[in-house]
Amino acid sequence: MAKPQAEPPEEAEVRQSVAKAEQFLYASVLAIRDRHELERLGIAFYDAETTLQWSYNADAVFHAASTMKLAVLLAVFRQFTRGELAPEEPVHVRNKFLSICDRKPYMLDVSRDTEGEVYERLGRTMSVQQLAYHMITSSSNFATNLLVDVVGVPVIQTALEELKIEGIKVLRGVEDQAAFEAGLNNEVSANGLLKLLRLIEEGKAYGEDASARMREILLDQRFKSGIPAGLPEAARVAHKSGNISTVHHDAGIVYLEGRKAYVLVILTQFASETGARTAVADVSRDIYECLAGMNGG
Amino acid sequence: MAETESESGLKIVDAFDLDPELRALLRPGELVEGIGGQYHHLPRYFYEIPSHEAAREIRVTPHFGLNEFLLVDLKEAHRVRAFPRYIPCAIRIAAFYLERLREAAGAPVHLAVNGGYRSPAHKLSVAATPHMWGTAADVYKIGTVVLRDRASIETYNRVIEDLTDDLYVMPYGHEIGKADDHIHVDLGYVTVVPREISEDRLEGAQDKPRCAFEERRRGDRRGWPREPLPEVLPAAAHAGSTKSESQK
Repeated sequence: MAKPQAEPPEEAEVRQSVAKAEQFLYASVLAIRDRHELERLGIAFYDAETTLQWSYNADAVFHAASTMKLAVLLAVFRQFTRGELAPEEPVHVRNKFLSICDRKPYMLDVSRDTEGEVYERLGRTMSVQQLAYHMITSSSNFATNLLVDVVGVPVIQTALEELKIEGIKVLRGVEDQAAFEAGLNNEVSANGLLKLLRLIEEGKAYGEDASARMREILLDQRFKSGIPAGLPEAARVAHKSGNISTVHHDAGIVYLEGRKAYVLVILTQFASETGARTAVADVSRDIYECLAGMNGG
Repeated sequence: MAETESESGLKIVDAFDLDPELRALLRPGELVEGIGGQYHHLPRYFYEIPSHEAAREIRVTPHFGLNEFLLVDLKEAHRVRAFPRYIPCAIRIAAFYLERLREAAGAPVHLAVNGGYRSPAHKLSVAATPHMWGTAADVYKIGTVVLRDRASIETYNRVIEDLTDDLYVMPYGHEIGKADDHIHVDLGYVTVVPREISEDRLEGAQDKPRCAFEERRRGDRRGWPREPLPEVLPAAAHAGSTKSESQK
């Protein structure tokens, strides 16, 4: 009977290191959840450098908030790639949308949107690519709803299905109050967003070119209170956050000097009065420190 | 002669003379149903606008450029957005009334995107709307007033109603047939037959072979590829048919 081969010492070391990292992450995530009084927390993480994949409650479905804009971006680039839409095509900037609930028109609240550049173009046109840029970098709800109208919800869902992304459901644009009150919301899971961002990072979201262009847009993100707040200043993050009164999410690709990127999704839900705004940054910091420890950094 | 030049130097075309793709999009002379169940014939005579520069430079009235009636987004068919572009000849009448509105308002009148001419292929052309005749305008701003509330819309609606009985204005409201973020004004389904055009050509959408012959004649002139003849007919029958058509 052959004697079982002993594991090479380097591999055993790696395995121990991974096990330790997982234990560390699990403990720190529980601590963050308690410290911030989070009602729910979902995390998914994949590191291309170490191939470490880790998750916590990653299939749980959350209100998507603005992270649904990643799915809209994906659908826009699907249409570009298929030649069904050109980046420079003009779109009428009109603040009038139909609720999916009762088909009644509604308008966006100008004061709630995060940037005024799209509103300044009211009555005129902007190109599809300009709208895509504003939808992501300044999280413009106005740009998002215009693009949802341009590509259509069925195309967004088709894009997700084509790329076998599960856990993301897009039903409508944003600020559709009638739909919100009827419980018709866009939903995401940490694993769903992780898959979407991994495809973009690996150049598999409608090809290398489309993926690269999506990464470029995501890298210009103006809101940095989520994942980037837990990282060294030199880190570059291609990401999209999502905040409403009871959720604070961030999903991004983290680029650090001298190593491959890692993809991280952090979804948090809390009672509205607690306002746990730094939980995402805390998880991001712990994951970064865990990786730095594994790399001997 | 179906093509001629208007006073402004714009070529006037009979849309039946356009290439098949454009003709299918503009549907000249075709009957379309309005929301109220009435039917109207789509316009047949159009100005041909050769370029973006021409659209910008040509004034239809002292204060309205042709380009203002052509401003559309991706809801308009791609081919219709490409130059040379075509706009119904009735646009001049719409512009004349808008000029009067400008005088009455004492301020520039701004047309919205998709607020001038919309072809029947435009995604907002779900039923016969005077926009498809070039006789309607959606105004989103007058002077510095952006028209998106009841007060501003009803104020200017009244100005228009006092101006003339020829114009219809859409009342303020959120339902279909009302407007809450612009002023809709129109002259109804007016078509214009330019004096240079002769109407004796019967080129309505009729069945082959008459239309096929007409199409081939135009096609020869413009170098379009010929459609193959139906294979069910013997070669002699083709020859006979061609001869009899040419003798007409």
